[in-house]
Amino acid sequence: MEKLEEADIQGYIVRGYKHMMYSRYVMLHVTDAAAAKTFLKDISGSITNVTHFPKSNCLNIAFTAQGLRALGMNEENLSNFRREFYEGMTTPHRQRILADYDSSAPEKWRWGGPNNEEAHILLMVFGADEATAINYYKQLEQQFLAAGLKNVFELDGQTLPFNKEHFGFRDGISQPLIKGSDRKGPEQDYVNAGEFIMGYKNEYNVFPDTPILTKDQGNMSDLPYDPMGTGKKDIGRNGSYMVMRQLQEDVDGYWTFMNEKTKNDDGSMNVQESVKLASKMMGRWPSGAPLSLYPDADPAGDNKEVDYYTAYFTYQDSDKEGLKCPFGSHIRRTNPRDAFEDNGVEKSFKLTRRHRIIRRARLYGQPFAGSPTNHKPETEVGLMFTCFNADIGRQFEFISYTWANYPKFLQLYNDPDPVSGIREVCPPGTEQTFTIPAKPVNKYITGMKSFVTVRGGAYFFFPSITTINYLTTI
Amino acid sequence: MVRQQPLTLATPVIPSAYNNLDTVLKQIRSGLDNGVQQSFQNVDTIHYLRLVLLEAQPPDESGNSYPAKFVLGTDYDGDEDAQLTALATTCGDFIDKLYENCEGYPDAANRNPATRKAYLEKWRVKASAFFAGAPGRTLVQIRKENELREYILNLIRNGKWGSQSAKEIHAAIKTDVLSKTEFQWARESVKLPKENWLGMALLGLILLVLLPFIIIWILVIHFLYERKDKALGLTSSQIDGAHIRKLEEYEDFHNQNQFTQLLIMKPGQIRLITLMGLMLFAKSLVKNLFVKGKLMGIPTIHFARWLLMDDQKRMLFFSNFDGSWQQYLGDFIDKSGWGLTGIWSNTVNFPPTRFLFTGGAYDEEHFLAWSRYYQIPTAVWYCAYPNLSIKNVMNNTYIRNELMLNTTEAEAQRFLNRF
Repeated sequence: MEKLEEADIQGYIVRGYKHMMYSRYVMLHVTDAAAAKTFLKDISGSITNVTHFPKSNCLNIAFTAQGLRALGMNEENLSNFRREFYEGMTTPHRQRILADYDSSAPEKWRWGGPNNEEAHILLMVFGADEATAINYYKQLEQQFLAAGLKNVFELDGQTLPFNKEHFGFRDGISQPLIKGSDRKGPEQDYVNAGEFIMGYKNEYNVFPDTPILTKDQGNMSDLPYDPMGTGKKDIGRNGSYMVMRQLQEDVDGYWTFMNEKTKNDDGSMNVQESVKLASKMMGRWPSGAPLSLYPDADPAGDNKEVDYYTAYFTYQDSDKEGLKCPFGSHIRRTNPRDAFEDNGVEKSFKLTRRHRIIRRARLYGQPFAGSPTNHKPETEVGLMFTCFNADIGRQFEFISYTWANYPKFLQLYNDPDPVSGIREVCPPGTEQTFTIPAKPVNKYITGMKSFVTVRGGAYFFFPSITTINYLTTI
Repeated sequence: MVRQQPLTLATPVIPSAYNNLDTVLKQIRSGLDNGVQQSFQNVDTIHYLRLVLLEAQPPDESGNSYPAKFVLGTDYDGDEDAQLTALATTCGDFIDKLYENCEGYPDAANRNPATRKAYLEKWRVKASAFFAGAPGRTLVQIRKENELREYILNLIRNGKWGSQSAKEIHAAIKTDVLSKTEFQWARESVKLPKENWLGMALLGLILLVLLPFIIIWILVIHFLYERKDKALGLTSSQIDGAHIRKLEEYEDFHNQNQFTQLLIMKPGQIRLITLMGLMLFAKSLVKNLFVKGKLMGIPTIHFARWLLMDDQKRMLFFSNFDGSWQQYLGDFIDKSGWGLTGIWSNTVNFPPTRFLFTGGAYDEEHFLAWSRYYQIPTAVWYCAYPNLSIKNVMNNTYIRNELMLNTTEAEAQRFLNRF
């Protein structure tokens, strides 16, 4: 097993900073490249790497392609990054892949879109609590403002108890674990480091594509050589690609829909059925307990057993026909585990491991966990979806298109992912449904609605500490 | 059973008319994109149609050059003669505006179904191998069976089934459907192709007998050819972004996509014979084994074809598939990397292989880059049923057949869960 060069890898890929309850993400625009590089040099020693376990604060940093260009990176070198990153999230083709239409269209985004001021550098500032985070942020703010870096967007994030998101479901569970890191979990979830971090072998047992320097620039002496053997210096090693999407959650619309679809014959609300329908769509109960193990009711609560089984479960033995956890549910399609199409168990796990992402969502807006009877938050709420992968096309975009947005998933006809794949305006000549396998006849939820709107997004490069230092010299 | 077949016509383009043809193709494409009915859509045997323009190629390292060619391909029902007649008759205007830019097309005064057909016939290129995901399913049948499925789905959704058993519900649906004049055709079940295990055993036997020869052959390829092969050696980020963007311009609009690859054969008879042998092998697998919607385990391909052209110096590959390019190519590696490697490694610049079937496609980063590098833009692409996946097509036929069964409870349950 390859050993990770932990001191060179930014911490947020490997650790979720669970104890950092508050975060502020700020997108900076470079107005003076030289001053910006000085700022980077000043903070480079404070960036949290995998060997650090800070008690009060963490700091990580990421760059958009425009950001690297603004710092002065040679265009040919920049074009050696993965095309998804180089072109960005908002090309017409990528808009189709990610289904960013209607209210989610990039033209309407608050950041990262064609009508927004370019976001160049992302600072991710974490604190054990709000005051600690903001204090640390204020120090950094003085520095970056003095360096001519303009704040074009900021969003504060929080973590709710039991890691609930605003619809009321536990989030961030059953993550892939990087082989060679100290994280513990089910055997099947250990994934070769190269799926997330460049410079290591991926699940095809080859090195992932990595940005190499084909034009000499800056002080390249500390940079490693490309493992593929091109003889060029590699700025990707120990770095990753980070996907970020701001997703607004319409909690009121969500629970109103569930309540409406499950109301009693006399028109009254059926709380139990409403929760069950929402859980069928998610594939988990609000507690995170998987339906394929707990088909009838939420075992709920802070229960050690449930906790364990949020990650340790499979489909082929307990739920082959989808009678417990529907084939079209969010978690069954975005992580098929041992049931990847009709492959056997081992092959399924192997293929599934080629399409994993490490997720790091943080909530914004009022801390609020919805339910059938409590679904009117006082502010806009949502989450800052963040994930890491080494191949955006094969991982994040594949999961988004082939598994979530694609209505023909498995043997289905008109069923996009009920949680994340429903289009606001249904494509002409089609319908959007959710099919719940049942006996003797399936249940069909028709007229599915979208309750998630994309408010911003970008692909970032999440470099190694070595590369951050290199960037200060270009 | 009506067979599905590939028609491929490869015609030299008049050099001075190349740009005009390009414009005509763009007009057809934008017409299709905007819902303007094209005459070929009236031919109810055409599942897919694709038009491709092959640019003229200056002499390569081996001194081979190729004039510009226009390629028309259809996946159709029935026999070739009828398909050509339909194109020459029903689609006269369409054929004229395309082929008047090609060498030797009849003058305006001499264009009629007979002269058009005679012209088209001249440019046929025979496919070396062909795969149909749902063999025997005609276009008319696919459409009718989907109407049937939608009708029954509505019955199920709107029915008050109370405590009825699956068997009772099945019977009620059957009675309802058979009372409708428009579904009388459903009374007749269709025979579906099955795996031919006897044929497979025979194939196995032949391979066993040939094994010593095959081993020697592979050793010869390995030691005398593979070791000298050159590979493209690029990863995706090193490929011209503009080329990939051009390909992506025509991808992921519907739930299906197309893939067109133009490859150059490695020089030498041994490579050609290897490919021909593998094509023969592929053909017998397609005929005997891959008859239920999967090509070497890949469950998303509607039609695929391989063909050799230009004195067998170039290979053209067409496929129509469900989902994205990324899924499709990933499936190739995950499920049939060896088969893919065996066939494609006979073309230039394929990622390095060992003993014909290993290496190659399994070198994921280089293989995917190579794959995009040799993909060419499809000028016009048409699918008669963009809203049906190959799994949907298969499932719809099962529904039709299972409707007519006198089912057991378990069979009725399986039928109902198909919706």
